[in-house]
Amino acid sequence: MEAISNTMLVAVTFAYLGVSVLYLCNMVFKRGFFGRAATIFTWLTLAAHTTAIILRWVASYEQGIGHAPFSNLFESLVFFGWTIAVIYLFIEGKTRLKQIGAFAIPLAFFAMLYALKLDPGIKPLMPALKSNWLIAHVITCFLGYAGFAVSAALSFMYLLTKQEQTAGSRRALTLDQLIYETVVVGFILLTAGIVTGSIWANSAWGTYWQWDPKETWSLITWLVYAALLHSRYMRGWQGRRLAWFSLIGFGCVLFTYFGVNLLLSGLHSYATGKT
Amino acid sequence: MSETPSPASPGERVWNFFASVKLSFALLLILAATSVAGTLLPQKEPAQLYLEQFGPTWGGLILGLGLDDMYHALWFLLIMSLLAANLVICSLNRLPGALKIIRKDPAVDLDKKRSPAHGFTLAGTPAASAETARRALAKALGKVWEKPFQAGGGQGLVLLSQKGAWSRLGVYVVHFSVLVIFAGAMVGNLFGFSGMVTINQGQTVDHIMQERGQEKLLGFELRLDKFTISRYPNGMISEFRSDVTFLQNGREAQKNSLVVNDPAVFEGIDFYQSSYGQRPGLVTVRVSRDGQTFDAKLEPGRWNPLPGGGQAGVVEVHQNVNMGQMYSGPLARLAYQPEGGEPLAITAFKAGNRMPQRGPVKIELVDLEIVPYSGLQVKYDPGVWLIWVGCSLMVIGFFIAFYLSHQKVWVRLEPAKGGRTRVEISGAANKNRLKLEKIMERLAGAMRGGE
Repeated sequence: MEAISNTMLVAVTFAYLGVSVLYLCNMVFKRGFFGRAATIFTWLTLAAHTTAIILRWVASYEQGIGHAPFSNLFESLVFFGWTIAVIYLFIEGKTRLKQIGAFAIPLAFFAMLYALKLDPGIKPLMPALKSNWLIAHVITCFLGYAGFAVSAALSFMYLLTKQEQTAGSRRALTLDQLIYETVVVGFILLTAGIVTGSIWANSAWGTYWQWDPKETWSLITWLVYAALLHSRYMRGWQGRRLAWFSLIGFGCVLFTYFGVNLLLSGLHSYATGKT
Repeated sequence: MSETPSPASPGERVWNFFASVKLSFALLLILAATSVAGTLLPQKEPAQLYLEQFGPTWGGLILGLGLDDMYHALWFLLIMSLLAANLVICSLNRLPGALKIIRKDPAVDLDKKRSPAHGFTLAGTPAASAETARRALAKALGKVWEKPFQAGGGQGLVLLSQKGAWSRLGVYVVHFSVLVIFAGAMVGNLFGFSGMVTINQGQTVDHIMQERGQEKLLGFELRLDKFTISRYPNGMISEFRSDVTFLQNGREAQKNSLVVNDPAVFEGIDFYQSSYGQRPGLVTVRVSRDGQTFDAKLEPGRWNPLPGGGQAGVVEVHQNVNMGQMYSGPLARLAYQPEGGEPLAITAFKAGNRMPQRGPVKIELVDLEIVPYSGLQVKYDPGVWLIWVGCSLMVIGFFIAFYLSHQKVWVRLEPAKGGRTRVEISGAANKNRLKLEKIMERLAGAMRGGE
């Protein structure tokens, strides 16, 4: 079952690549066909992705070391790809703006591609990870990261298509609003992620906050996005500046996720690719 | 955001500075930027390490700025205090205005002239449509206020309903929650303590070691009855567990099994399974002095009184040392203090060795015990509940602030030609205009449905 799951994940990875191409065609050729096909295939890919994660979960129980598939870098990347697809489809459903897909779905592809380079073996849980807070913490954090990822994709789209030249247009204003709203989604979920992490740390290590690099970087990310949310109330921080701000925020997310584990040492060491 | 036009008094200027969103914006970014330093530099290491690693100039700068423990440095706490002051003053500045809007009687706004989002005419008099409008408004928003007026030789009616005025408080809930979290952290720092204790299997302890090497008496005792490590089939550790007993005045008061993620509480103090290892336990020695020889058991970490006077302690032990042909086997460095004399350093070798040992006393090793020990994190934090209250308030506050809004909708029914009624629907919202538009659309649909 583990093997089936792993094979499916490889297929899912390249399906995201295919879907990205469809979304790109939709944007370039402006034909409804590509857009419809892209949406349908994204849903199908997401369904396969979900199945693969569930199969992996079941497989771990069959091996007698059952745990939610959120325990190392491989599993978190697979889940990150999943959350990006989920948040994207949610935004697409609400706004019908399929151009966003050309920028958001490639992020899901890259997350999955990175995962494919790592050892996919199912390992038993180390003592520190044996907690009911694992699931709540990982789900909130990664949905939050995905919210920020989609916001960054929107920002990239805003800057690449030079929306600031027609800053008053309906399209530019919609994009601006969407960048803000996806940051709000990410921010609430990141807050929930930090809170669940604190509760967990308090029961595992006896302190809810100890300025560990991972904790501190999640706080840095939180502060940057908190500043972004306040910039809404200052003149001149809409449009282009907001887009850049959201990209910088996402840079912090990426450092919190990868940089801390690869470059800095701390308590969160199990999330590295090394074993 | 409302900037008071100059000239402002100095007091006003200070107040406005602290109430400004620009200050919040700047402080959030300054906190973010400075926090980076502490993740790159090792924290809370001995001063010597910074001087060796970064040289006297940079190392001195790091120590001078308190970057070796920057999250507790005065300047960092000052930035946090500024943020707290900013939060308080900004909220005090705006809360009265928000409360005024929330408390305002909506009926006052009935006369407001607004440009309609939807306008159409219906058959029948305004009075005939009034009931439909009333019901639709009540269903969409709640309580309905209304006021008749004279127009076009007949009687018209304006209806108003609103929802979620209180949601304007969401942002203050969030700001307050930050202060609650700050308060919780302060209570923990002022009235709480934390430390570590390592206990050998079978040993009883009555104190813990705090951060700077200070000892703290617990006021009760803690005994490690048994330490167990269990492993997965592949050899990875699945669990380490300490079975402990808390003793009050020497009597067993509570037994617990401590595992990671499952702490125990005794007398309000939390105990967490944190680390483990193996180390020397009791050292059995054979002491020969004044023509007498006797055995004694020495416990590491304290002076052990010897039968017949004097005391001895264990400094360090080695299970196996190899000195070539002279000696190979266990070795212990001991401290020995004869009654009323100065302490002496003595190296003890296993009994029957041929090593020369001079002095008034000869001490040999009979047995070296190796026992597992368990490392426990110990904490007392009376501020933790404030942290959780603050966190909950923050998340609730976000939902109110970002997803609820103050929505107001007016329906104006005016008599028109031919005994018909002109309907105009207008609305106002402090945010989420999309939702407002949907409400008005549904309302228009409901009004027309009767036609």
